[in-house]
Amino acid sequence: MKFLHTADWQIGMKAADLGAAGERAREERLAAARRVVDAGRDRGVDFILVAGDLFEDNAVSRVLIQKIADILGQFRGPVFVIPGNHDPLVPGSVWEHSAWKSCGNVRVLREEAPVELPGGVLFPCPARQKHSGRNPVAWIPPERTPDIRIGIAHGTVEGIRQDEPDYPILRDAVRRSCLDYLALGHWHSYATYPDHEGFVRMAYSGTHETTRFGERDSGNALIVDIPEAGSPPLITPVRTGGLTWNIIEKELREAGDVQRLKEQLETLPDPGSTFVEVSLSGIIAADDREALAHLENILAARFLSGRLDTLRLRPMPEDDTWLAGLPPGVVREAAGRLRQLASAGGESSTIASRALMELYSLAGEDAQ
Amino acid sequence: MILRRIRVADWRCFLNPIELGEFDEGLNIVHAPNGTGKSTLFEAFHRALLDSHKVTGRDIEMLRPWGRTLSPKVTVGFAHGGAEYRISKQFLEDSSALLERMEDGTYRRLAEGTAADDQTRALFTQNPPGRGLARQENWGLAQILWAPQGNLVLTRLSGDLVADIRSMLSLQIGAGAGPLEAKIEARYLEFFAPKGKLKTGKDAPYLSRLQEQLKEAAEVRRKAQELYLAYEETVRRVEDFRARRAQAGHDAEEINKTIKRAEERVSAYRSLSSEKKERTEQLKAAEARYSEIKHRIEIITITAAKLTESRRNVSTLEEEAPLRSRERQEREKEVARKKASLEDARKGRQSVEAAEQIAEAARKFTECTKNLSELRVLVARIREIEGTLASRKNDRAALIAPGPKALRAIRKAAREHDDAKAKIEASLISLEVVTESNGLLDVVAGEHLGPLPLGAGTPALVQGSPEVVAEIKGVARLRAWGPTGSIEEHREARAAAHGRLAELTAPYGTSDLDALEALSDKAKLRDEAVAESETKLDTLLADRALEEIVQDQGLQEATAARILEQNQEWAQSPPDAPALRVQALEVKKSFISAVESAESAWEVAQSALTAATGQEEAAASRLEESRKLCASLESQHAELIKDGKQPHERQREMQQLAMEWEAAKGRLKEIEDRLKDFQDDPEAVLEGLEAQRKAVEDAATAARDQEIREESKLEGLAAKGPYSDMVVAEERLAQLKHDVQTEQLRVDAVRLLRETVASCRAEAIAAVTGPVELAATRTFQRIAGGRLGRIQIGEDFEPKAVQPEISPESVPLDNISGGEREQLYLAARLALAHALRKDERQLVVLDDVLTASDAGRLARVMNVLEEAAQDLQILILTCHPERYRGLQSGRFFDLDDAIGKTG
Repeated sequence: MKFLHTADWQIGMKAADLGAAGERAREERLAAARRVVDAGRDRGVDFILVAGDLFEDNAVSRVLIQKIADILGQFRGPVFVIPGNHDPLVPGSVWEHSAWKSCGNVRVLREEAPVELPGGVLFPCPARQKHSGRNPVAWIPPERTPDIRIGIAHGTVEGIRQDEPDYPILRDAVRRSCLDYLALGHWHSYATYPDHEGFVRMAYSGTHETTRFGERDSGNALIVDIPEAGSPPLITPVRTGGLTWNIIEKELREAGDVQRLKEQLETLPDPGSTFVEVSLSGIIAADDREALAHLENILAARFLSGRLDTLRLRPMPEDDTWLAGLPPGVVREAAGRLRQLASAGGESSTIASRALMELYSLAGEDAQ
Repeated sequence: MILRRIRVADWRCFLNPIELGEFDEGLNIVHAPNGTGKSTLFEAFHRALLDSHKVTGRDIEMLRPWGRTLSPKVTVGFAHGGAEYRISKQFLEDSSALLERMEDGTYRRLAEGTAADDQTRALFTQNPPGRGLARQENWGLAQILWAPQGNLVLTRLSGDLVADIRSMLSLQIGAGAGPLEAKIEARYLEFFAPKGKLKTGKDAPYLSRLQEQLKEAAEVRRKAQELYLAYEETVRRVEDFRARRAQAGHDAEEINKTIKRAEERVSAYRSLSSEKKERTEQLKAAEARYSEIKHRIEIITITAAKLTESRRNVSTLEEEAPLRSRERQEREKEVARKKASLEDARKGRQSVEAAEQIAEAARKFTECTKNLSELRVLVARIREIEGTLASRKNDRAALIAPGPKALRAIRKAAREHDDAKAKIEASLISLEVVTESNGLLDVVAGEHLGPLPLGAGTPALVQGSPEVVAEIKGVARLRAWGPTGSIEEHREARAAAHGRLAELTAPYGTSDLDALEALSDKAKLRDEAVAESETKLDTLLADRALEEIVQDQGLQEATAARILEQNQEWAQSPPDAPALRVQALEVKKSFISAVESAESAWEVAQSALTAATGQEEAAASRLEESRKLCASLESQHAELIKDGKQPHERQREMQQLAMEWEAAKGRLKEIEDRLKDFQDDPEAVLEGLEAQRKAVEDAATAARDQEIREESKLEGLAAKGPYSDMVVAEERLAQLKHDVQTEQLRVDAVRLLRETVASCRAEAIAAVTGPVELAATRTFQRIAGGRLGRIQIGEDFEPKAVQPEISPESVPLDNISGGEREQLYLAARLALAHALRKDERQLVVLDDVLTASDAGRLARVMNVLEEAAQDLQILILTCHPERYRGLQSGRFFDLDDAIGKTG
């Protein structure tokens, strides 16, 4: 038995950090969904398991439901989907849409009842609420059969730290339920859980496309190959994500740091599919002001979305070049005061730093 | 710049050239009466230095002397920057300008025309002249140094002048900072209005638009969130209704099970109830049979007893019947006897009536007799009094006497007569003659004329009016007279009174008042006697006429006569009416007693008869009834025993039925005990359960209906994809917030930059204006004292207010007196002039100023001017030279003289 295990597509999710690029991120998730189906098809899997959270919310646009149904419908084999905690089986859910009826190969598993698979049995654990303290796999009858027993559930394996248990799944769920494999969804990073024999029979596929900055090991689907009942599964992650999320935090210490950072950014591959967030701290020399402005332009122009945070930057306190170019008198005196204020710290120092930048910019125009 | 000399020609009132100079480098006073041309001279001076020679227009035309077409000309010699200059200008026709500089002791041409204008003007301002004559605000530094006529006020200094002053005063403000400051200001004004608020409207900065967009985005998000929350809420409601429906289904199922059990119980209950009913019927039937037989036996027994009793009663009654009949007969006889006695007693009534009649007649007779006697006496008495009355009336009628009224009239007439007489007496003149011998007095004039005998020693009175004249022949003629009065009136009055008196007394035969009064009294007495008789008569009559009394008397006599007809013996011997009455009463009493006794006896006999009759009839009736009863009882008894059974047989049968009855009771109790096990009414319970089921079904139906409605609503909400809309709105909102934050930072930075620059500038200016302020204050306080405190000079170098020490707030200048205000401005001008002079003397012109200052203050002003003249050239134009005579130094120029010299 060979199948593709995916989960947490979170179709329709919000990307507040990306601003106007959020829509692009959502579109990329649809593209990644197609890549998942393509991966399954290319690797000749027998069926696809989607372990919950196909959608970000039950109230997503109905057009998205149709699109996903169409995408899944393009797989030649069956696709088994369980509702997750983001799209639980509640009145008005995405699962009531007529699109699912038109896809003959997509089965939304709404009941805790075994489903016949070619060569095995599937034990679905659909979520019916957004939050629950109940073990979703507890219903699976623990009886050893000659068939390959696959479980599909959406929850949190014990050991993952969270404030309150949400659909808790025991660490030894596989053994307790006599499963050959438990396909999990809920957490967005790829993770595996070896059993007492050291074989991985329980895994999170992670989300098929990274959802935010700092999310590790996401953007994958898993190809699971189980030769026979009782055999350890062979799990192969395949890359399905197309976006790169880069966070760059840098502390500027000396002149030229900005330029070096700029060069670093220019070397990042595929900027059109990359989200970049650059956060600078430290002190900035007067000579780096222009490079900083260029950096901001590069981020805005080259990357899918780029943000530059300079709120924690402060002008170099002993950098008199700030003042040298200014006409003597009131203006120079004012610049000196602003520099002192910028060095003092606090919210007003941020404004003072910015004011200095503004003054420098005007002086630069004046000089020209 | 130092003024050396000035020459003016063809300029307003200066038709002929006039020249003043060489001015002192210190104080100069140009004085002349009003209208001489002091201000014109000043005008020519500043036109020469500041105006273009080519200027045209109405204002320059006015410079011509009146009625003449002459071109105004002016030449000013001055020193500047260590060099001596001379500027000559001619305006209007053949306008020209020539600037000369002293070189090697000779004035050499330096510039002419416009160049000359420009170079001269440049000493004071960088501003071009503009159209027309230069206005004061374009004088540049001269605006401070030269005060036009009566206008020491330092105000509306041009921006360029202020900049120049600042520039001249200090380099700290920053040379070349102007453009950058301007850019900072311009950048600031991109965002803010001059007053400091963020711009609005079409000029609003990007931040404002972002904030507006943010507001809109927040509203969009709020609405999207509302819709999403409505979706979530509807989901919950649908879940609730489904749960409710499911619960209703469970409840219905439970209730159906309960109902099924209840129905089984009801069936069992009904079965037992039915059997109970049947057994109850059986019990009742057994009881009925037993009761019947028992009753039958009792009836038979009772009937037999009654029959025996009845027969006995009949026998007794038959024995009593004849006895009762005999008793009745006896009673009837008794009644007849008593009746006869009663009739006998009643016959005594006639005696009673006769006795009463006699007594009544006696009473009447006695009464009549008495009345008759009284009436006779009364009549006699009445007749007597009538006679007396008639007599008295006659007496009275015979007496003619005046009544009280007549008497009053008579008295009045007499009084009048006496009065008249008295008056006459009073009016008469009296002459009393007493002779010693007898004689004869002949009254010639007087009341009574004629001789009057005189007796010796006897007074003879002669009266008369208006005189009395009497003669004694041969002796004397006596004459007496007195005051004349109207004796005739009195005589007339006396005559009238006499006449009336006579008339009034005529009927009475006397006019003597006393006699009349006696008559009146007498008449009164007689009247009283008549009244007395009348009173007596009225009393006797008692409102009746005599005829009535007489008639009454007649009746009484008739009545008495009638009675006597029947009782003739009474004529001789009157009856004793009371005794006859008593006798009549005795007879009556005796009669009544006899009658009552007889009646009583008769009634007793009658009662006894009635009772006996009643008893006889009752006995007969009872006998009849007893016979009927007996017959009836015999019939009943025969009916009761017609079955031929013997009593013991019946007893046996009754016992049997009793046993059957007991058995039926036992069976019924058994069923009842079984029914008690139910403890409630299963049918009522079933009914309640069915009602519950209906309620549950209704609730389920209602929940289903609500669920359907909410599902429909949910479908509508879900179709809108509210989450996706909310996501888009939140992303936009986040982006806008970020942009706003960024832009806000920029705006705040620009504001901080501008404020910092402005603050630094203000401090720099304050560093410059401070000394000027201090100097001006010091000078002002020397003139006006310390009361008004410190002068506050703004950054445009104009005095703004004073700050008295005692006042926490500054005082605007329009709140101080006019004199102090001009002194203040003078101090400010001098302070500024000192500050601006650098290393060169500057000319300060004061044209007819300090007009509001008093002599005391003026003295101090002179001191100040003298001190200022150490560093400044001061030119004072005044029409009061005497005010300045106290100056220890100062050159005076009499303009009048100067004009005179030129003819």
